Amino acid sequence: MLAWFTPRRETWLFKVNPALKFIIFFAFLLITLFNQNLSFAVWQAVLYGILFYGFSGYSMKKLALLSIPLAISFFSSALTIVLFGKGESVLWQWGLIKISEESIQHALLLGSKSLSFGFVGFTFLLTIQPILFFYAMMQQFRLPSKYAYSFIASFRLIPAVTEELQIRRNALKVRNIQFSRGLKGMYERLQMYTVPLFAESIRRAQRIAVAMEAKQYQMGAARTYYYPTRYSLMDGVFLTVMAIGLGVTLMLAFWR
Amino acid sequence: MKRLKFTDLLITIMIGVVFGILMKFWDDLYTVVKPILPVARQLIYGMWFMVGPFAYLLIRNPGTALIASIAGASLSAFAGHGIEVLIYGFVQGLAAELLFAAFRYKRFSMAVAGLAGVASCLGSFTLDLFYGYAALETWALIVKYGLRAISAFIFTGIFAVLIVRALEATGVTSLIRPVDKKEYTMLDR
Amino acid sequence: MNYSNRYAINLTNLRLKFPGEDSLIFKDLSFSVQPGEKVLMLGPSGCGKSTLLQVLSGIVPNSIELPMKADEINLPDSWGFVFQDPDTQFCMSYVDEELAFVLENLNIPRSDMAPLIEEALKRVDLHLENLHTPILELSQGMKQRLALASVLLLEPVVLFLDEPSALLDPEGTKQIWSSIKQATADKTVIIVEHKIDLIADWVDRVVLFNDHGMILADDSPSTIFKHYQEELKRYGIWYPSVWDEYKESESFKSMMHEREQVSSFEKILLNDFHGFRGTAPKIFAKKAVAKTGDWIAITGENGSGKSTLLLTLMQLLRTEGIYKVNGERVIQKKRKKQLPKGLSLVFQNPELQFVTNSIAEELTVSLHKMSKPQAVNYAADLMQLFNLPNSGTRHPYQLSTGQKRRLSVATALTPQTDILLLDEPTFGQDARNTFAILEKLEQLRVQGITILMVTHDMEIVKNFATSVWTVADGVLYTNNEMVGGVFECLHGSHLDEKHGYSK
Ligand SMILES: Nc1ncnc2c1ncn2[C@@H]1O[C@H](COP(=O)(O)OP(=O)(O)OP(=O)(O)O)[C@@H](O)[C@H]1O
Ligand SMILES: Nc1ncnc2c1ncn2[C@@H]1O[C@H](COP(=O)(O)OP(=O)(O)OP(=O)(O)O)[C@@H](O)[C@H]1O
Ligand SMILES: [Mg+2]
Ligand SMILES: [Mg+2]
Repeated sequence: MLAWFTPRRETWLFKVNPALKFIIFFAFLLITLFNQNLSFAVWQAVLYGILFYGFSGYSMKKLALLSIPLAISFFSSALTIVLFGKGESVLWQWGLIKISEESIQHALLLGSKSLSFGFVGFTFLLTIQPILFFYAMMQQFRLPSKYAYSFIASFRLIPAVTEELQIRRNALKVRNIQFSRGLKGMYERLQMYTVPLFAESIRRAQRIAVAMEAKQYQMGAARTYYYPTRYSLMDGVFLTVMAIGLGVTLMLAFWR
Repeated sequence: MKRLKFTDLLITIMIGVVFGILMKFWDDLYTVVKPILPVARQLIYGMWFMVGPFAYLLIRNPGTALIASIAGASLSAFAGHGIEVLIYGFVQGLAAELLFAAFRYKRFSMAVAGLAGVASCLGSFTLDLFYGYAALETWALIVKYGLRAISAFIFTGIFAVLIVRALEATGVTSLIRPVDKKEYTMLDR
Repeated sequence: MNYSNRYAINLTNLRLKFPGEDSLIFKDLSFSVQPGEKVLMLGPSGCGKSTLLQVLSGIVPNSIELPMKADEINLPDSWGFVFQDPDTQFCMSYVDEELAFVLENLNIPRSDMAPLIEEALKRVDLHLENLHTPILELSQGMKQRLALASVLLLEPVVLFLDEPSALLDPEGTKQIWSSIKQATADKTVIIVEHKIDLIADWVDRVVLFNDHGMILADDSPSTIFKHYQEELKRYGIWYPSVWDEYKESESFKSMMHEREQVSSFEKILLNDFHGFRGTAPKIFAKKAVAKTGDWIAITGENGSGKSTLLLTLMQLLRTEGIYKVNGERVIQKKRKKQLPKGLSLVFQNPELQFVTNSIAEELTVSLHKMSKPQAVNYAADLMQLFNLPNSGTRHPYQLSTGQKRRLSVATALTPQTDILLLDEPTFGQDARNTFAILEKLEQLRVQGITILMVTHDMEIVKNFATSVWTVADGVLYTNNEMVGGVFECLHGSHLDEKHGYSK
């Protein structure tokens, strides 16, 4: 699984400070979210598509594979709006289903937005190391260390949590537990899995928090960093590219 | 009202992350149901509003609903759901948090928890308006978000409360909640 | 707080209880430690040793709130803690990151970190080719060492150790204690441990607790082990000559009198048998047989594959090759996995065993065939035998480590079981409970139950097992020459030649 996520080559995007990359992407996506102009939305999707396909450094095969969920989300989000969306100039109607010019427009707007989110999300994930992201958030954006380390510790436990579900299945078998039939059995099962899952996670989180404090972790205390992160020339390049990208998409959308 | 200790914070975030994992599995189910059963899919949508109220009911500290909601959304984002879920997580968590605050963080009943879910639903509706999911015919709009609000109430008001009660029975909540004053007087016997 | 220099730790009239319980764990307990002292706390399982360590370090009530009060508390500012559970004391994913986390907390410049990390690992004898190794891939023993290394990096004035060697193989136990002794010569050290052979002479003081968390005696080790024999025996606490005396006892002699084989029926048979974790083969057995009434001890180094073997026998992992239970071939189906009948497993981590919300329920939940009152009686007997707190409504997690272990063993003893797989059933136990468990198992064995038991305790191997299997590097060896040969086999490298097996 992890091996899959090694890029073919490390592009310039990899060298951008991960926290800065996140903040800029996030700001751009806020623009995407609140934008209501179709042509701007489409051009934005194109811009992010170029980043994703051109500069994430992964082989086309892997990128194509990742595009499948993006395509699905494009169509599934657009479909409802096409069929049930509001609109005056009706093109086709059958019972409750009504396709209109406006509804198609709305669907395309929505579809482009979800493509943009998908492209940016993947571009970000493919070009950062999570641990460095949290370290950079602490160093460049003053994220309090208590949040950063809580996230790091919780993410570390994810494999343990999924394994836990497996173990629980085994324990129920080993102990020869029998469930009722039908709906009651469904609830019993749900309860038998989720309740211990949470109980165990809480206890584990608590023990780890205690262990961290035992290692003299103090909220808000001054600290050094094992992974120093800083700004570099590539951050300038990144900011320039994004600014130009924004300018060009705005021009393409609104220049008549 | 006690300050959020580091232990509480880590537990809150952990709950959010575990919920994120559950939501990931739920999402697979949702993707399957989505195209075939449009009504049913709204009815299982409430899962996305559960994390904040659930964490608050469990830990009972101000801020937990918001933080857990963001943590759950972060996991979703890292699992490849797009960064926009962070915005949704933030707004939904904030809505639930404000509702609990409106009751001065003193009520943990099914009704209040359910209302928090509905508040989250309202928050996500606002975002949907901008996103474009809400550009529907009025009847469709009412059906979609009506069902979704009902689902929100069921998941946060009933399911979350039931799971929290089951957790209380395991004694694990005594690790996180403040100790009753009475317990201290029992030391003097 | 006025910190008096005379004491490293000083506590007077501590009272403490758990929420929801009626009785106090500690009632007016006073305790102090001089700087530089090495103190060993001895007491029966469940008397409150772990809880007391947490109070002395300030974890209770700073991080975990419990109802408590004391007339005077002076606690150390600088301390380190090695917790009993090796799995839940790390917050980072890799060895180097974990140690660096400590240095970050101490605000040590980045440029100084690498040499400090390397030195700390050297001090605990943890040799890794690459420091950036995932902690998940370490064996339990290596994790214990890493925990110790990170605590040593803190350079604490006071060190708390809660059973740091409970899960280690004999070699690892020796190593870890010698590195602790080296590293802490000038420090204050407070230890809770059941296996005391290696440290009894090293500590300055032994504090003896009774069942109710009261201090019975507090003196030098030589005095305690000479003059408090009576108390040590009464409360079932380990002391250096406990096994010798036990072997002289009437109950042991009568039990071991004429220990002939129960029957020669083959309960378990393995032939060219492989077990996998995911796709990686982790255990192989050329041929192995367990007969009715066998008590087979399974030994081997940390991480050699003992637990994996038991999990494959229970069919919880993927297996290939011939595996027969009661003469019938066990065939692994893809879906709807069925566990072989008659087998019962006790997991290495007791918490994995529990599926209900109370001790009493835990003991009755698998008794499908019994009537309600019968089951309740059955559970009550087991609770008595295994010395479990009889507030049967408490959640299994709210027990001490030793109590959890005993409860998990008790849950496996259902009447339908005739092959028992036990993964270190006696770790973390005091003497009395260890013997109680062993005697119960011997009684079952005589009745014809087959026992396969993973253990690191050589006394148990010598005195109770009828044969020994060893696991080395994922390969099972079933050399049935008894006892004398055991030690050589464990540490000998001649295993491969002898069995003509090459990987
Ligand atoms: N959360 C809890 N609620 C109620 N009682 C508890 C809880 N945790 C522990 N206990 C009880 O408190 C007592 C002391 O527990 P502690 O873990 O300190 O024992 P211990 O001396 O370390 O035992 P061991 O040698 O088995 O580790 C035990 O009898 C245990 O049953
Ligand atoms: N969940 C897992 N996934 C993959 N490999 C594992 C897993 N658990 C253990 N292993 C590996 O399998 C091997 C055997 O582990 P096992 O737990 O059987 O050792 P053990 O003999 O029981 O050791 P110990 O005495 O420390 O309990 C080790 O190399 C270990 O690293
Ligand atoms: Mg203990
Ligand atoms: Mg093991």
